Amino acid sequence: MKALTANRLSDGDVVFWSAGQWVERFADAQLYADDDVAGPEAEAAGKAQSTVVIDVYLIDLIESEGFWAPLSYRERIRALGPTNHLHHGKQAEGGAMVDALQHAHGAARSTGRVNLIKRTK
Amino acid sequence: MYQYDTLDREMVADRAAEFRGQVARRLSGELTEDQFKPLRLMNGLYLQLHAYMLRVAIPYGALNPTQLRKLAWIGQTYDKGYGHFTTRQNLQFHWIKLRDTPDILDHLASVDMHAIQTSGNCIRNVTADPYAGATADEVDDPRVWAEVLRQWSSFHPEFSFLPRKFKFAITASPKDRTAARVHDVGLVMRRGRDGVLGFEVIVGGGMGRTPYVGSTIREFLPVDQLLSYVEAILRVYNRHGRRDNKYKARIKILVAALGAEEFTRQVDAEWAKIGEGANLPDAEVARIRAAFAQTVFESLPAQSEAFEAARAATPGLARFARNNLKPHKQPGYTIVEISLKGSGETPGDASSEQMEVVADLGERYGQSDIRVTHEQNLVLPHVKLDDVPAVWAALKDAGIATPNINLVSDIIACPGLDYCALANARAISIAQNIAEKFRDQDRAEKVGELKIKISGCINACGHHHVGHIGILGVDKKGEEFYQLTLGGSGAEDASLGAMLGPALPYDKVAGAVDTLVEVYLRERQGDERFLDTFRRTGVAAFKEAVYADAH
Amino acid sequence: MPTLIELKDGLAHAATDAFTYVADDQDMPGGDVIVSFGRFQAEGESLLSEGRRLGVRLEAGDAVEALAYDLPRLALVALDFPKFGDGRSFSNARLLRERFGFKGQVRAVGDVLREQAGFMVRVGFDAFVPADGASSNEWQAATRRYRHVFQRSADGRTPTFLERLS
Repeated sequence: MKALTANRLSDGDVVFWSAGQWVERFADAQLYADDDVAGPEAEAAGKAQSTVVIDVYLIDLIESEGFWAPLSYRERIRALGPTNHLHHGKQAEGGAMVDALQHAHGAARSTGRVNLIKRTK
Repeated sequence: MYQYDTLDREMVADRAAEFRGQVARRLSGELTEDQFKPLRLMNGLYLQLHAYMLRVAIPYGALNPTQLRKLAWIGQTYDKGYGHFTTRQNLQFHWIKLRDTPDILDHLASVDMHAIQTSGNCIRNVTADPYAGATADEVDDPRVWAEVLRQWSSFHPEFSFLPRKFKFAITASPKDRTAARVHDVGLVMRRGRDGVLGFEVIVGGGMGRTPYVGSTIREFLPVDQLLSYVEAILRVYNRHGRRDNKYKARIKILVAALGAEEFTRQVDAEWAKIGEGANLPDAEVARIRAAFAQTVFESLPAQSEAFEAARAATPGLARFARNNLKPHKQPGYTIVEISLKGSGETPGDASSEQMEVVADLGERYGQSDIRVTHEQNLVLPHVKLDDVPAVWAALKDAGIATPNINLVSDIIACPGLDYCALANARAISIAQNIAEKFRDQDRAEKVGELKIKISGCINACGHHHVGHIGILGVDKKGEEFYQLTLGGSGAEDASLGAMLGPALPYDKVAGAVDTLVEVYLRERQGDERFLDTFRRTGVAAFKEAVYADAH
Repeated sequence: MPTLIELKDGLAHAATDAFTYVADDQDMPGGDVIVSFGRFQAEGESLLSEGRRLGVRLEAGDAVEALAYDLPRLALVALDFPKFGDGRSFSNARLLRERFGFKGQVRAVGDVLREQAGFMVRVGFDAFVPADGASSNEWQAATRRYRHVFQRSADGRTPTFLERLS
């Protein structure tokens, strides 16, 4: 499964796409099956909203405690907040989804972002 | 301290106004993100994992209390009540909103501060010895030349779109507290045979994917030739540094590709064409120098009875004095280092309340002079020994009296994967786990000087290559793993660390460091530091111990 | 057609381009032309002998020194910005003015953005073909953002350290 994430331009906050709008809680994010073309379509649409969001990309998800959670540790930190201040960021809200995110296991880097080294020329 | 005059203030105000316009044009869509990104980077504004990060410039790590109070206030008003001091003597706020930054820059400008060129492919903050003006072992005050370079490099019309970032460090002491030899240009001040002041010019040091200790391209550059010479260096770099690959674009790559000799030849050829007209008039150097000569010291006895009595009566103060006080050139004074590496704290972080305390202490006891070190600690460079008990008590109340300067728990750590979009792994919790192993202060003192430096990724903002123990976060099979190196040093004996062995998983790192320390304590001779024992014995015993344990 | 902005007496004006840029594989039209350095080396003499005004366009990686001998006969040097972040042409412009004393037009072409107008004017550009649709008024405003400058450069503006002495 996948979800679409970005950072809001005006404040840098992590947001997720959910049925026509950008939401702040990962729990509210719209989910796409891996082969669902709606995912890439939403990504393209998001990239066109250049005065609303920046850095729009799909992330991979895994199951955790009955929820879908970001596969990569990096994306879990984006969805939760920093691990050195548990009262900072979205994790401060608490709840079952936050617990599920905190207990999920998976890759330390988002698999949707492997092409980090960009050659220019 | 350098005081802004009207011209300096108008520069910063004009920059803030320019950025306000650029932000507005970005929010309206008139500027694309591709066009805007370099502009916001040149004002120190990054997009990180959770929010924007603003890197405020603290030129050569020097602050006055008014400025520190303003930073405290900005932290409370626009962030989450704290700031993070960095390995380039700057301050970062990690929870900033783009739409607030024009106002934040205006607030900074009101106390002669800014975020100019703290990121981007331009000349960055020029760092200098945090003990400048206080230490007896300097040949000159390096802040004079750091300020000369700050002005020269700010909004430089030819050198604002370099192949990559460019970092200067200046030291005037035989003890290098700036890591000058791993900077793009390190300037080491010396006196020539005839007493003339000059710089040893070291180029092409750096960390990251391809670390280098810099090469000396000029043994002695008279100080009054500084600007013409650095113009030559920058021009050669601007014209010939690689533009095709971001990871091969630093000047260190150019120096390595040409060879130091050919690089030097090109710089010297360019310098000859530039000529002396490019140097700063003596009157301007004198004006800047005069600003730094303002500190007035009282005539005091070398020993303070009050301090000695308090020290004898209070073990905590004695421990603080042993570790955090450094010799001052003026009898009766001392340099006070304030550790931001408290047990359980995030290395380099200070709350707004703690900043206020340091500002007050600086004002009341410290000649209104406060410094930031590149090891993420603060310094009150001019404190009377008589006043140390009161300073210590206030620091203790504020939770920033940890007596661990240069000890194993005085760890340098980048923000890492908890904050940074570039990171592979966390650095903060690794630092905390290690520090926890050395909570026992007696043990920490027994170990002595041990500089652990942690980077969450190869960009090496934690300077791991020059850690006595360096720790680099890597992504191995999707988990957080850490590559350990031994024997690096950022001081005058600069060296790059050697790999210990295969990367270790997250939960093995603190134990491995513990093991390394045990090996050191077993092997050390005389008063060897960890670094000295490693250099004498090599990696074998350390490697064997760590990887035997891992099985 | 991209707008040409020219700077005269410190004021930016929209201008009609008297020059035609001629690619290496194009037939040579009449009138004033701008050609690549390679084409200049091949045909420069003959073009100049026809009494035209001639401009040479340098790529970012070209060394302006190669033109030094011919500069007195050139009306214009165009310096390319392949991407606005490629700052090599700032050095070429400054050298053209300060080291080689070039008095003709120094024109910025390529990925030229008004956010860099101030820097460009300082290093000696006096003509611009903006890639971001900036008008001459916007360009003018962009060059006026800073009341002071810290360094000496090709524009001759008094740097702060001399302002302070007066």
